[in-house]
Formats: sequence, C-alpha cells, structure tokens
Amino acid sequence: MTDVVFPTLAKERPEAEGVVSTWFVDDGATVAAGQLLAEVMVDKAAVEVSAPAAGVVHLLVAEEDTVTQGAVIARIT
Amino acid sequence: MTLTEAPVTAGQTGSHRLSTAKAMVEAIDLEMERDPSVFYLGEDVGKYGGIFSSTLGLLDKYGPSRIIDTPISETGFIGLAIGAATEGMRPIAELMFADFMGVCLDQIYNHMAKIHFESGGNVKVPMVLTTAVGGGYGDAAQHSQCLWGTFAHLPGMKVVVPSNPFDAKGLMTAAIRDDNPVVYMFHKGVMGLPWMAKNPRSIADVPIEAYEVPIGEARVANEGDDVTVVTLSLSVHHALDVAEKLAGEGIGVEVIDLRSLVPLDREAILRSVGKTGHLVVVDEDYLSFGLSGEVAATITDHDPSMLRAPVARVANPGIPVPYARSLEYAVLPRPDRIEAAVRKVLGA
Repeated sequence: MTDVVFPTLAKERPEAEGVVSTWFVDDGATVAAGQLLAEVMVDKAAVEVSAPAAGVVHLLVAEEDTVTQGAVIARIT
Repeated sequence: MTLTEAPVTAGQTGSHRLSTAKAMVEAIDLEMERDPSVFYLGEDVGKYGGIFSSTLGLLDKYGPSRIIDTPISETGFIGLAIGAATEGMRPIAELMFADFMGVCLDQIYNHMAKIHFESGGNVKVPMVLTTAVGGGYGDAAQHSQCLWGTFAHLPGMKVVVPSNPFDAKGLMTAAIRDDNPVVYMFHKGVMGLPWMAKNPRSIADVPIEAYEVPIGEARVANEGDDVTVVTLSLSVHHALDVAEKLAGEGIGVEVIDLRSLVPLDREAILRSVGKTGHLVVVDEDYLSFGLSGEVAATITDHDPSMLRAPVARVANPGIPVPYARSLEYAVLPRPDRIEAAVRKVLGA
C-alpha cells in the first residue's frame, strides 16, 4: 500500500492548508506509476500529483476539499 | 501558476482524463515529438509554462531552443515566427492576451495573413498564433476581450476556438499541421485551471494518441427540436446549462458549438435552423459588426422564411468589460441572458 500525500507547496508554513482542485482519475481506477492523479493548490500556486506506484487508487478526499499539506489524499493498493 | 513533474504520456492508445489546458499541451507535445520543425515562442511560455498553462512542462522536455521565452515585444517575436514559417518551420507564437493584438496587428493581418496571397500562392505561412481570450474573472477591459470577430473579419487567417479538452487537442493538432496561418483562441474559463472558477466541462477524457478535429466543422453539442443556439467557447457551457434546465420544461434546445469562425460551418447552422425555425446566437465578443450578425445573415442570405421568429443575439452590448463582478456579469452572455433569449424567440 502506498500513500499519496498532499505536497508541501508552502515550505515555510508546513501547517498551511490547500485544496484538491481536480481528480483526473476515478475512485477505484487502476493507475500506472507516474500517471497524473490530481492537481492541488495552495494559495494560487498549483501542482500536479502523480501516482508514486502502480495499482488501484482509493481517493480519500473529494474535489474542492481543504486539507493540510502532507495529508494523505489517496492510497494505492 | 502550476508546477509539473509528471511526464506527458505519448505513444499509447486508449484515453485519459485531462483539462483543456493539458489537452492543448499534449497536442503540442505530440507534434513537437513528431516534427522537429515545430517550436513555441512567447512571453512566459518557458519556465512559467504559459500564464494560462498552455505550455506547461514543455520546456523541461524540449529545452529553450524549442520553447522560447521572449521579451515583451509582440511585433518582434510574431514577425520572427512569420519569417521562420516562410522558411519551412512550423512555429507556434503565443500572444498572451488577444487584447494585446493592437501592438502587433500589422505583423498579423498585413504579413502573416497576406504573404500567401501576395506571393501568388508560392509562399506558405504554416504557423499558429495562440492567444487567451474572454472574461468573467475580474480582469477588466484590457484583459477580458474575445476579439475573435476581428481576427475572423480580416482575410487570410483560419480562426479556431475550442470549448473543451477533446477539441482543444484535436484543433491544436490540426492547426499545427495546417499549411495556413491559424489563430487558436482559448478562453481562460475553459482551460480547467485550478485557480479559475470551477467548470466541470473543462475536464474530460481524451484519446492519448494524436488526432485531428477538422477545422471548419461545427459540433452539435446538444440535440433539440425547438430552438437552435449557435455559440462557441465558454458560452457553449452556459448554453448547455440552459439546455439542461429547459429540457425539464419540455423545451428542446439544440446547441451548436461552432469550433471555428473561419471557415464558418454555415451548413451546420442552416441544417439546425431548418429543423427548429428559431435562432439564438450567443457570442461573448461585441454585438455590433461581428459574429452574431454573420450567423444571422447566414440564414437570411439563404432563406429568411426558415425563421419563425426574429433572431435573438446575446453578446457583449458593445462596452468595455467592467471590473466589478456584477457589472461584468451584466455585459457577458451569462446563462440568465441566454435563457431569457431562448424564451423570447419561442414566446415561452
């Protein structure tokens, strides 16, 4: 099992919150390592999140949800 | 601003979900991979990835000799692209906002658009001019215009306006491969950018491999029997919202997404109005002397008796786009104005 974490965009403020803007995969989808999973944003800076491993992805937060940087937003099994 | 680490997928079959911006980038990537004569230049298109993410990730893959950051010198770098195109390259030049056309229009309409004709067809200008258009996000009078009617009015350029990821990729591929200058106008509100207003239709599955959407073919975005809404770009999404709402009342709204202004798919307009007898034109550009009048004339030039009611036009009434949100929404073709126009032509 591999965690997909919300990247730390505001490095000087590790407790900063961000938004999962877009999921590019559905819950339960089979993904390849390196595949684009999501676009997330802190303040107005956005970053892509890609799959750290191949497998079946389980989404743990919904689009537009606010989470703290470093939070687990999906798991790949 | 968006940072990217993921490689752009290529050489595969099947489909994957992309935003309109990523679909546009994927088309450019696949053509650059296939054809070494393709390169991209403009302001902030390199390290920044395009102010509206039109080139995100391409600098890392192709380097600064093919993804070229330029100074703020539109006449200079568009002229450079024209020269390169006449010598056999396939440049893509980005005019950051269509609103800035004024500083470089001579290069565009007197040179890019006319060289082929002035040379008796002996010199081709196979370039793409990309540019961001449209309002609705508080960027005011000098950064919110569409101006596609102006480009389309001036002869010698094809003008394409994608509204969704599939068309963004297919029209970009077709534009790059086209031997004519093509102006590719992307509305910021359809790009699927995280920092813009959420637009569900700006994220969709697109084929992974390269494909073309033919330039000059409109698409029936929604079928209906009662009224035809001819529109393009972000207004397609608003028209589809109205069509979904009115379907609940038993009103069938056919939505035509033009996708290209030049060539204009007049047959698609005639076919649909021939069925419905009612026409609403929705155009985010200025009302007067523009696309909405051209679409209406397409009917009246052919057979005015096709219309069972006068044409309604929903457009910017001809004033600079205001900054204040309430005023901005009042001049843009928002769903409320589109719905009112549909009801008016139907007397419903």
